[in-house]
Amino acid sequence: MSEFKHSTLRRLLLRVTAFAAPALLVAGFAGEAAAQKQLTVWHAYRGGEKAAFEKAVNAFNEANKAAGISAKTLAVPYDAYADKISAAVPRGTGPDVFIFAQDRLGGWIEAGNIVEPVDFYIDDQVKGRFLPNMMEAVTYRNTAYGLPFNFKSIAMIYNKKAVASPPKTTKELVEWAKKNTDSGSGKYGLGYVYGDFFYHAAVMNAFGGGVFKQEGAAALPTATVNQPANIKSVDLVMKWYKDDKILPAEPSTALITSLFNEGKTNIVFSGPWFLGEVDKSIEVGVTNLPTVDEAGGAPMKPWMTIEGLYISAQSKNKEAAYDLIKYLTSDEAAKVMAVEGRQLPSNKSAFAIPEIANDPVMSGFRKQADTAVPMPNYAVMTLMWSPVTTAMNKIVKGTSAPQAAFDEAQKSLTTDIDALRKTR
Amino acid sequence: MRTTRFPGLDAGLGLLFGLILFFGMSLWFVSLENQNARREAEVRKTTVAAMSLAETVAALETVGAPPEALAPAIEKWREGDALVRDVRLVRQQGAQLVYSSVAADAAKGALPRRLVREEKPLFDLTGQLRGNVESNRAEGYRLPEAPVEGVRDDLLRVTVPIFVGDAYWGIAQVERERSTPAAGGDYGRAGLMLAVAVGVFFALAFVLRAVPLGLPDRWVHLAAVGVLLAVVAVLFGRYELQQLASYEKARASEVAATYQGFSASSQAAAAQVGATVPSTVPLDVDQFRRPLGQIGPDGQLNVPKLDESVSDNVGAIRDQLWWTGLLAAGLAALFALGQMRRLAETVREHRSAYSYVLPAIVGMLLLVFFPFTYGVMLSFTDRTLLNQGVPLTELWVGLDNYVKILGHFDVIRWTADGWSVNYESFYWTLFITICWTVSNVAIGVTLGLMLALALNTENLRGRAIYRVLLILPWAIPNYITALIWKGMFHQQFGVINQAIVMFGGEPVQWFDDVFTSFITGLATNAWLSFPFMMVVSLGALQSIPTDMYEAAKLDGATRWQQFWSITLPLLKPALIPAIILSVVWTFNMFNVIYLVSGGEPAGANEILITKAYKLAFERYQYAYAAAYSFVIFLILLAYGVFQNKVSKATEQVR
Repeated sequence: MSEFKHSTLRRLLLRVTAFAAPALLVAGFAGEAAAQKQLTVWHAYRGGEKAAFEKAVNAFNEANKAAGISAKTLAVPYDAYADKISAAVPRGTGPDVFIFAQDRLGGWIEAGNIVEPVDFYIDDQVKGRFLPNMMEAVTYRNTAYGLPFNFKSIAMIYNKKAVASPPKTTKELVEWAKKNTDSGSGKYGLGYVYGDFFYHAAVMNAFGGGVFKQEGAAALPTATVNQPANIKSVDLVMKWYKDDKILPAEPSTALITSLFNEGKTNIVFSGPWFLGEVDKSIEVGVTNLPTVDEAGGAPMKPWMTIEGLYISAQSKNKEAAYDLIKYLTSDEAAKVMAVEGRQLPSNKSAFAIPEIANDPVMSGFRKQADTAVPMPNYAVMTLMWSPVTTAMNKIVKGTSAPQAAFDEAQKSLTTDIDALRKTR
Repeated sequence: MRTTRFPGLDAGLGLLFGLILFFGMSLWFVSLENQNARREAEVRKTTVAAMSLAETVAALETVGAPPEALAPAIEKWREGDALVRDVRLVRQQGAQLVYSSVAADAAKGALPRRLVREEKPLFDLTGQLRGNVESNRAEGYRLPEAPVEGVRDDLLRVTVPIFVGDAYWGIAQVERERSTPAAGGDYGRAGLMLAVAVGVFFALAFVLRAVPLGLPDRWVHLAAVGVLLAVVAVLFGRYELQQLASYEKARASEVAATYQGFSASSQAAAAQVGATVPSTVPLDVDQFRRPLGQIGPDGQLNVPKLDESVSDNVGAIRDQLWWTGLLAAGLAALFALGQMRRLAETVREHRSAYSYVLPAIVGMLLLVFFPFTYGVMLSFTDRTLLNQGVPLTELWVGLDNYVKILGHFDVIRWTADGWSVNYESFYWTLFITICWTVSNVAIGVTLGLMLALALNTENLRGRAIYRVLLILPWAIPNYITALIWKGMFHQQFGVINQAIVMFGGEPVQWFDDVFTSFITGLATNAWLSFPFMMVVSLGALQSIPTDMYEAAKLDGATRWQQFWSITLPLLKPALIPAIILSVVWTFNMFNVIYLVSGGEPAGANEILITKAYKLAFERYQYAYAAAYSFVIFLILLAYGVFQNKVSKATEQVR
């Protein structure tokens, strides 16, 4: 019995070694040959954006051939992207460089071992190439953790045929909209998803409101959902909806798209993603969101989502990785990303290129970026969405007054933040 | 079986193994604690050095000493302790390496200079410490302000922040040699005591054989083993604990000596430029720069405080020794009562069976029991995203998480707008989970049984094709099915709403209402679950003999009566286990809920398992989520016990 077991075991061991030894040798040689610095970049782009991004990375590879640095891109499906980063990078199996919007940054930094601080590498020349506010999105607790790559925010999108001169203030907007509203035929002067907090943030910020207030370098901000400025901003929107009747009921992105395509609403607040759904026959203009007379003439400040280029804390070639992200935010790369990828680069020089400067859509969004503010990158941002969305739904459906709804959201958000705070 | 054995061999072996266990474990505990005390003392000395350097630099900067005064001042400061190896000062402003005693640093350029690229970790540390200090000020202690690194076995590195007044200046990094603890413990003493105890026992046993006491031998042996074990353990334990206490006190005096050395040398260094170092700043601090309190500002030991901390440490070890003693006594008793011999015999007899089971046991230990135990431990703490660096033992909160989960009775409340349900409550989620499980299993069984009955029709054409088609939903990975159904319920583009519009209805916002949102999950899961029930029922149906139906027909039973009195009772043995299984699957059906409705609206349709996921990965309350998961486990465990009873009952029916 035991004789038999021993011999099988030995045979098995022999077989394993017979296979493993050459494999190990091959692996050893492969490691030797790849003394060059190979970088991996993860992105979630598709179509034109992907082609442009690959072109930019190839240009980097060409320029750095002599230094032995090369980067290869890997498209990761968007749905799985953030979870993959959280899981793979701390275990050292992730990319050297990755791209994502700033909303997950705080969580990743607090979790540790994912994002490398880059303050040390950044010089004034690099800092100077970006539009204002862009660095703020990739800065967490006073430390820069990446370079901003591109931005998206909502702006005023209008049908050029129907709107001769787009309104500049809310007063003009309401006047124009009232004239162009006819509830009988389902025409509305203004359309946007005002029940969605991301869209509402533009009005909220005009009133000086906000959902968080931070003290010092604390990782955990204080919730300020029910502050008076926020209530005022919702009151204004509800006035537009209930008293002025210029907004459609129960807005959804699908409804806004169809209203715009049918010519029933000619001014909408939305972002670059909206343009893909617009009927090709409509000539579209993009300009700044109006200033808010009710907030003392302050401009609407929509939240920007800014995609950052981050270096993995586990990367073996951090300097080469920084060279890559520095190149990807340079003037040449920004031009490729803007002209071919149709992105809005964070590098301001891209907007001086004639093709971009003369593009009404891109220059429209560029102008909006001057007043837009980056969406906060706190780790607790993920906690915020559920309570404020519930509150906005209740307010829009009229089942709750703004103050009561926001009080409840404040309570629930504070409870969740305190659960993180009270430790030790 | 040997018939002639030395009397008390079992008990003697018990004493031997019990003592080996006791000595082995207690020597291990004591040596760990010794190493700890040694390491802690070395860390404290290095921290004292770094803190005093930081204070010296701050004093120099406060009076605006010229840069060239720095190097002589540091030389003077070094006189406080001969073991300081390397020193670095980094100023955050301008990323300046202000001072370094490392030759390689000087070789990269004259000091002070800007940090070069390879020195990025130093710069990051400078930024990080500032962030940590500010963050700790704002929200309590959680990030290290005086991080310790072991550079080599004989070298420790401590980095502390330097503040000039209230303004952050940079970091002071000190590397100091550490003495390594002397390896080994009192093995000689332990071996001697072991030999004596075992010798005494066998002598006793020998004497007993000659002079019988009239009591059963086995109990006499057991008593002898117990007494010997207790005596040896108490003697040895007391001695070791005394040694430990005096060792810890000696370490504390070493720290105090270093403290005094640096207080003097830093004053002298500051005096070179006419500055003074405030003596009120405690230098003996932990990694959060909180004073440990064992050493006063004058560098003298605070004896009561020290005694307190030493007796805390020693007390903890004493408790461990008691437990070890009990364990050893238990082991000895097992031997003495002959249990171990019997165990050894069964293992020998069923050798091959045990060796076949072993890999599975090892796998279960690693893959199931270890994570499970960790999860249970986590559930008694306060672990969140923000305190991952803090050891679990410091986050102990007892049953708080469970009390919070189970005490969330605030399910329905009255507000100004009418009754509103608190979807956050555990009981609401439990209610939804039960509704979800019951309705899914009911639909799955009904649909599956109906289809099975239809497929069981005699001479049905193309039966094989139908069967394959009906099993398909089961064969497709369920997350793919879930995503397809999610698409079908899309408010604008979904095929279901388009069908409703085609027949003149209004499109439904499926995910906006608790009920319709529940329906989306139910529909998806019904689609996924009926094939299993169908296959199970079909197999059982085919095993029902047809002559029973013929006999029933002859007696004039209707189809319905046949179904109730023949088909169902005969299906029961197959159906009940299938239902039990499917209840467990459905209870934890994460994919369907998470992917189809995502718990919309506002978390109302969350089931327990998706809720636990969101608590952990959206709200970052890891410990709370662990407790939540354990509650789910307990519910399923209770159900499992119930299931066992039911399946036993069905077996009896058969």
